[in-house]
Amino acid sequence: MSDDDGPEPLEARLRALGADLTAPAPPPADVARAVRARLRDDGAEDERAWRPDRRRPDRWRPDRWRRDWWRRDWWRPDRWRRDWWRRDWWRPDWWRRGRRPSPRVAAASVAVLMAVLLGATPQGRAAVVSVLRFAGVDIHVGRPGPLPTGVPSPLPGERRVTLEEARRTARFPLAVPSALGAPADVRLADGGRVVTLLWPGVRLDEFDGTLSVVWHKELGEPFPEQVDAVRGWWIRQPHGVSYVPFGGAPREERVAGPTLVWQHGLVGMRLEGPDRAEAVRIASSVR
Amino acid sequence: MDDDEAVTRALAGDLDAYEVLVTRYSAVAHRTASLLGAADEAEDVVQEAFVKAFRHLKGFRRGSSFRPWLLRIVANETHDLTRSRGRRSDLALRLGREREPYGPEDPQSAAVDADGRSRLLEAVRALPHGEREAVVCRYFLQLSEAETAEVLGVRLGTVKSRTFRALRRLREEVGRE
Repeated sequence: MSDDDGPEPLEARLRALGADLTAPAPPPADVARAVRARLRDDGAEDERAWRPDRRRPDRWRPDRWRRDWWRRDWWRPDRWRRDWWRRDWWRPDWWRRGRRPSPRVAAASVAVLMAVLLGATPQGRAAVVSVLRFAGVDIHVGRPGPLPTGVPSPLPGERRVTLEEARRTARFPLAVPSALGAPADVRLADGGRVVTLLWPGVRLDEFDGTLSVVWHKELGEPFPEQVDAVRGWWIRQPHGVSYVPFGGAPREERVAGPTLVWQHGLVGMRLEGPDRAEAVRIASSVR
Repeated sequence: MDDDEAVTRALAGDLDAYEVLVTRYSAVAHRTASLLGAADEAEDVVQEAFVKAFRHLKGFRRGSSFRPWLLRIVANETHDLTRSRGRRSDLALRLGREREPYGPEDPQSAAVDADGRSRLLEAVRALPHGEREAVVCRYFLQLSEAETAEVLGVRLGTVKSRTFRALRRLREEVGRE
């Protein structure tokens, strides 16, 4: 091996390897819903105490169960009358376990949720703050968009580089849309976490969009539109965008124009400037 | 809504605010659970961790970062699980889809690259438990040394020495042709 002659190459290789490892994860919205369902049941704490934990059979301690039998209140008829609806004999099994339902049930619930989010009355919709997390971008819809502010401040450690240098330094494989040709300007920021390519009137941010949130967006209605061609989202209104340093809070906000957000392989992309059709054309040409 | 605001509101019992936190950290929590050895039970571990985190939110030191605190709960849950299964935790993951061709790259060097990566992954798998955890946190999850110490519940010095030893071992392992 030619490149294990110092500490840096091996560490860089480990980081790159980590980015290549896939760990299957359900959509965050599903997790949020399941956790919420379990927390909502928190009121029935005493009930959980006697019910053996179905998800972890090896945690079921028969000795403790025998020792604590008198704490359970199944022997109190008055509790039965008051709480009968809380006991979960009537709930389907997947609900009781707080786990993911079958794909069909999940798909139906997602459809219902989307209908609630998108199809509700305007008044109802204004009250909903929904969060879309996609490709390293947190998109918050529901609050009014930001007021125009001053000049955008540069990203941390931002500097001008050549395309070659950006390719060498970036923590992800840099991609260039062939529809636009060579960029007029290339900026590298935050130790290679973000690379910005600029053409007249067009800005393309590429970033390591797999592990953590890199951008935070605040926008008012409407909800972003899904773009099937590149499996991304199109935000058609001006909105606030702030950079989220690794493990930190979002930095100050600037106003961004209409933006297309998508993921290319393991790289998150946000394209700002062109209109929707042009943006999709550019995005489709990224190789 | 930033983490601090979400925590404040969740402490007041606002489940919407907590849902924001769950959505935000779900992916990294799953990744942590899988990488630390929860295998196909990562989903259970993560749910359990989020429920526990909500219940113990009062114990969260305000002003510190939420993410490592949460990941520590995930790591503890994963430990409990692997211990109760009574077997050695394993790196439950595989190399992702092949890298898409970004730019000119000949097939031969791509194959060598893939081979090198799988050998490196095998070497990480073979590391002693503590050292492997340090490598997973530092490089695969890209946590800082301080965050790693918090997540694994060990001292900063321990993280440093484990990382150092792990790197030395890996370097010997992958250096051997």
